[in-house]
Amino acid sequence: MLQDQQGEQRAVSRRSFLKASGAASAVLGASGLGVWGYRHGKDPATYSGCEGFQGASQCFDRARFSTHEPHYEVVGPTSRANGRTEVIFSRMGILGRAVRQGLAVEQMDEPWKSFYLAHPDTLALDQLALEAQAQTRAEAQTQGERFILTKAWSRAMSAVSPRGIGDAPPEESDFPERAGEPMRMKDPAATAKLIKKVSYEFGSVLTGIAKLNPDWVYAYPFRRRGFPMDEPLEVPTHWEYAIVVGTPMSWDPLYANPNFGTSEDAYSKSRIVAYRLVSFIKQLGYAARPHTPGADYDLMVPPILVDAGIGEQGRHGVVVTPELGSNYRPAIVTTNLPLAVDKPIRFGVQKFCRSCKICATQCPSGAITKGDKCVVRGYRRYAISPSKCLRFWNSNLGNMGCRICVAACPYTRKANWIHRSALQLTAHDPTGLSHRLLTGLQTRFYPGPEPQDYYAESLGGKNASYRPAPWWLRTEDFIETSS
Amino acid sequence: MWIFDGPLFWFVLGILSCLAVTAFRLWAQDRRLHMTWWKWIGVIAWMAFAGASLAFVGTSLGEGEARAAIMGALFAGVLVLVSGALLWRVLQWR
Repeated sequence: MLQDQQGEQRAVSRRSFLKASGAASAVLGASGLGVWGYRHGKDPATYSGCEGFQGASQCFDRARFSTHEPHYEVVGPTSRANGRTEVIFSRMGILGRAVRQGLAVEQMDEPWKSFYLAHPDTLALDQLALEAQAQTRAEAQTQGERFILTKAWSRAMSAVSPRGIGDAPPEESDFPERAGEPMRMKDPAATAKLIKKVSYEFGSVLTGIAKLNPDWVYAYPFRRRGFPMDEPLEVPTHWEYAIVVGTPMSWDPLYANPNFGTSEDAYSKSRIVAYRLVSFIKQLGYAARPHTPGADYDLMVPPILVDAGIGEQGRHGVVVTPELGSNYRPAIVTTNLPLAVDKPIRFGVQKFCRSCKICATQCPSGAITKGDKCVVRGYRRYAISPSKCLRFWNSNLGNMGCRICVAACPYTRKANWIHRSALQLTAHDPTGLSHRLLTGLQTRFYPGPEPQDYYAESLGGKNASYRPAPWWLRTEDFIETSS
Repeated sequence: MWIFDGPLFWFVLGILSCLAVTAFRLWAQDRRLHMTWWKWIGVIAWMAFAGASLAFVGTSLGEGEARAAIMGALFAGVLVLVSGALLWRVLQWR
């Protein structure tokens, strides 16, 4: 009897012990998940593209989302962009010179005179962009001290740059200096694999290959680079393939745009990768030509990225990649090295952009449309206003440029479990219901400042950044300043 | 803190989860709850949801997104409580 009671008590106490330890385990496990989440959120390994130069970043299963047709749609006769007039960085230099010389539009040289006379709205916006810099010049003297470190960092990142290709025509500059037969490559697929591997070794984070569509080459050159500026640009026959290489901008400064980020860090790296790749291809005896940021291009880059399966072009005109979101600064190498090409991918960006519009809402200049796609040179796509965009660039006190649309894009997020899960959900949802839900969560959980707040104080803003500056770019913590 | 950075964390979490489930089973017996397979799925799903909510808050704080952490805690916290209460009613079904 006594033994039975003792046995029962032991059983009860064992049972109670198990229940208590289970409850403790639940509390411990829950706390552990919270701490794990915190450490995962801080983990530098979630900064995609910084894992190592082995192509590890290209982790998205593109094959599941590849298609034969790119997402842009041909809706009429297509034409090529005029690099002299339609690229804002080309025409703004001419307009600035004319303004300084006190020339009227009618007195400008062709083709800019005809362009501006045919596009008076663009002229008005370009003039505003020119004036913006003057408006904030005095403020830049006093407030600009906050950005000493980030400007120093930006300049340092661009301090190392390849020499450039010079002004020899492409029939000379693109080909190896040593004459001779090109190497006999065994198989285009194997060569493509090789090129991707060496591009990763050179520092590329995502690499893709496409057949070059001549529509993406400028009708007239944007920069001389061996082409006569006044003559139509004949697409050289050896520009058969386009190899896309690229790198992301540093993540913490990216989120602190428009003031503390810079494009130069990724520009510089992508430039170096492209030139290394050109050297490699030329040593195999084939022609190769780099088209690199910031402005050494003979072609439009975003549609080539789409063709090469790097991503989809978003509402903001930037190509959204599955791995890096919009945080990808590419360079292109055109070549006649026979290569197997990649297929375009569709992972839901077109549908997502239709309802999201966060980039358009955050854009301080109003350069990104909240409306539908329109037809640009025969292709249906979202049109942006480079003139409005540049106006904000010129009024900004921090580093050159803006990049808020890149930072605010819901796809531009670290590679942690939250954002990866959201990416997979949107990529696999044909209904678009998750897109609306996630956009709503994004707007409420990760809001940015009011668009007007991004402007300098003299323009009615607060000189705001999307997120605070990273600790290593806060000038006031390291340098004695007067303000 | 190294334990959180490798697979050992998930191993330990697995053990803790087993202990928690075992304790729940004993507790359910004591409360004379009639547990069916679909009730077990509900319990495990609720535990996963509650765990993911905590991980979301932690990850958001780690990312420096304090507002997302607070909003997530409020939003998911309410959902965890409401779904927990509903689950409790369901578990009492015979």
